[in-house]
Amino acid sequence: MNWRKIWTITRHEYLTNVRRTGFIIMTAIIPALGLIILILVALLLPRGDAVANWLEQQFDIGRKPIGVVDRSGYFTPIMPEYQETFILYGDSEEAEAALRADKLQAVLLIGEDYLETGRITAVTRESFGEAALADSDRVRAFLVNHMLADQADPALRRRVADPLENLQARILSGTGQERGGGMIFTFLVPYFLAIFLVMTIFSSSGYLLQSVAEEKESRVVEILISSVRPTELMAGKVLGLGALGLTQVLIWLGSAWGFTGGMATLLATLGNIGIPARVFVLGVVYYLLGYLLYAVLMAGVGALGTTLRESQQLGGIFSFAAVIPYTIASFVMINPNAPIARVFSFFPLTAPTMMMLRVPLGEVPWVDVAGSIGVLLLSIPAALWLGAKLFRVGLLIYGKRPTMREIWRILRS
Amino acid sequence: MILQVQHLTKRFGDLVAVDDLSFEVEPGEVFGLLGPNGAGKTTTIRMILDIISPDSGHITVLGGSPAAAQPRIGYLPEERGLYRNVRVLDLLVYLAELKGADRVQARQRALQWLEHIGLEDRATSKVKDLSRGMQQRVQVVASIVHDPDLVFLDEPFQGLDPVNVERVKGVIADLHREGKTVILSTHQMNLVEVLCDRILLINRGRSVLYGPLTEIKRQFAPHAVRVRAPELPPGLPGVVAVEPKDGAYDLSLAEGTAPRDVLRALVDRGVDVQAFEVAPVPLEEIFIRAVAQD
Repeated sequence: MNWRKIWTITRHEYLTNVRRTGFIIMTAIIPALGLIILILVALLLPRGDAVANWLEQQFDIGRKPIGVVDRSGYFTPIMPEYQETFILYGDSEEAEAALRADKLQAVLLIGEDYLETGRITAVTRESFGEAALADSDRVRAFLVNHMLADQADPALRRRVADPLENLQARILSGTGQERGGGMIFTFLVPYFLAIFLVMTIFSSSGYLLQSVAEEKESRVVEILISSVRPTELMAGKVLGLGALGLTQVLIWLGSAWGFTGGMATLLATLGNIGIPARVFVLGVVYYLLGYLLYAVLMAGVGALGTTLRESQQLGGIFSFAAVIPYTIASFVMINPNAPIARVFSFFPLTAPTMMMLRVPLGEVPWVDVAGSIGVLLLSIPAALWLGAKLFRVGLLIYGKRPTMREIWRILRS
Repeated sequence: MILQVQHLTKRFGDLVAVDDLSFEVEPGEVFGLLGPNGAGKTTTIRMILDIISPDSGHITVLGGSPAAAQPRIGYLPEERGLYRNVRVLDLLVYLAELKGADRVQARQRALQWLEHIGLEDRATSKVKDLSRGMQQRVQVVASIVHDPDLVFLDEPFQGLDPVNVERVKGVIADLHREGKTVILSTHQMNLVEVLCDRILLINRGRSVLYGPLTEIKRQFAPHAVRVRAPELPPGLPGVVAVEPKDGAYDLSLAEGTAPRDVLRALVDRGVDVQAFEVAPVPLEEIFIRAVAQD
């Protein structure tokens, strides 16, 4: 390994790619989004109530009343506080006619045997999504309040209807002190941060693939490998484009700093919404390991295709593996230690993304942390060997893409 | 010896690309490495450049192994291209640096060669804005900008107009004058005749012809003379056949008859000889015959 040559390649790759339009757009998009949000907040802040109202509307499924056909007798008459939102109908035809006329959001058909069977039929105009409202808090409160109307005092009734009405989440930090900030933000911010980091891994290794494929397509590579060893070329590219990814992250953090008025504020904000040192350190570790693994694989795959497009198609196989954790992100958010999340943490191609998802969400067993890092540390040299071999051979095959059999033969030789 | 290749063999699966090939190149000469497409020229060059390793055989180049010699070798590949979005001068300096050259010196040399080859005003242009002929000339410069002692030029004239062919020939002549060794591979035999001291012709990975160009030409020379005259008298002694060609006559000679015997006979008979020469054999014809015989 000639480090001077590697450094020359690193510098060249960095300087060439930092000027790419794709990189500039990708890098500028985060600060731009931040700026837009700042402007929106500044514009909307004076009219906070209106905004809140509007937001509430966006998340409310229906503002129209719900029709009720009551054969059980528990819900007749409707209590005064529900008379605007629930309307009693004598029979289902009448109620459904009103529904058809778009005066109602839904009709609840409550049978005589409701107390015994709990069966209610919800009739809606269109989708199943609207039918699901039968289970909503609004309907539940209506039902509970009416059934307990004579039997309990209003406070108890209200509590039974919505026992979690005013839930306050409190997390014990290391010092035992309470941390402020909404429940949502404690994991949303680290979560999105992790997504952005993962994005830079893929944009950087994508540039790597592109750079290798372009060199091959333009045949520059023939000159390059008469000057440097393929492993030196690969090392230079991995370092140069890794530095490019770091630049991107630093610009994003820097812009966040600018928008929040200085590093102190940024750190305070981060601390406030809860990025413990553990999450930060592990984030950096998984970031570096993930980048190395993907970069090396992409370099090898990039050399296999005869054109950039072909190489990108091949590289897509790996990107697909890395995205798998995000397809099950909703399960992981509910339980970061779900068995499926743990399984993917031990598979090298999904380990970096899976762990970057899990770590900010809560306490992850140390076995998983050690295991996933171990798996990555073992698979990176293997990928390096594989990538270098594919790279070396792929670079010299022009004109046709090697078949799977040829690739296999190359790997064995 | 600047390059010594001994019993070199390389197989790709069932195909024997290079088959027990041996040759030597002397310092300061322009050496022609010739052969039909797929003969194994590029594979041979790649092994000398340590891009691929031979199955068997031995290569000594610039007094050492191919790996050690790499920084002192220049290479213009046949399958070639350049980064498109890079400025010409930056590209040349980068490629020279990869060969271990000093950046400042590489820059100076690059500018000199660009001027030499008529591209001095294009140093800051991007490669993609150059015409194909210009790009080709930049590639020639790229192969010599790090001041190598040995240069491989694989088809350096491909696609060049006559003016630029002259420019590239000038570069080769300059290298020759500086005492550099040039190994030239091309299908343009007329240029080989002008430029090369010695040649190696390979076919199907094996050596077919090898040696000084003049000797090879003599070896292939037909026993014939070419005479330009208004008309020839019949029954010249020692002449087996007469064939008019391009406004002259090609005379095939019997064994034991020297060209000067024919000239004397022509003069004796008062023929108005305008031109007389030993019939030339173009290298192209030697190439075709040697490959066909192989």
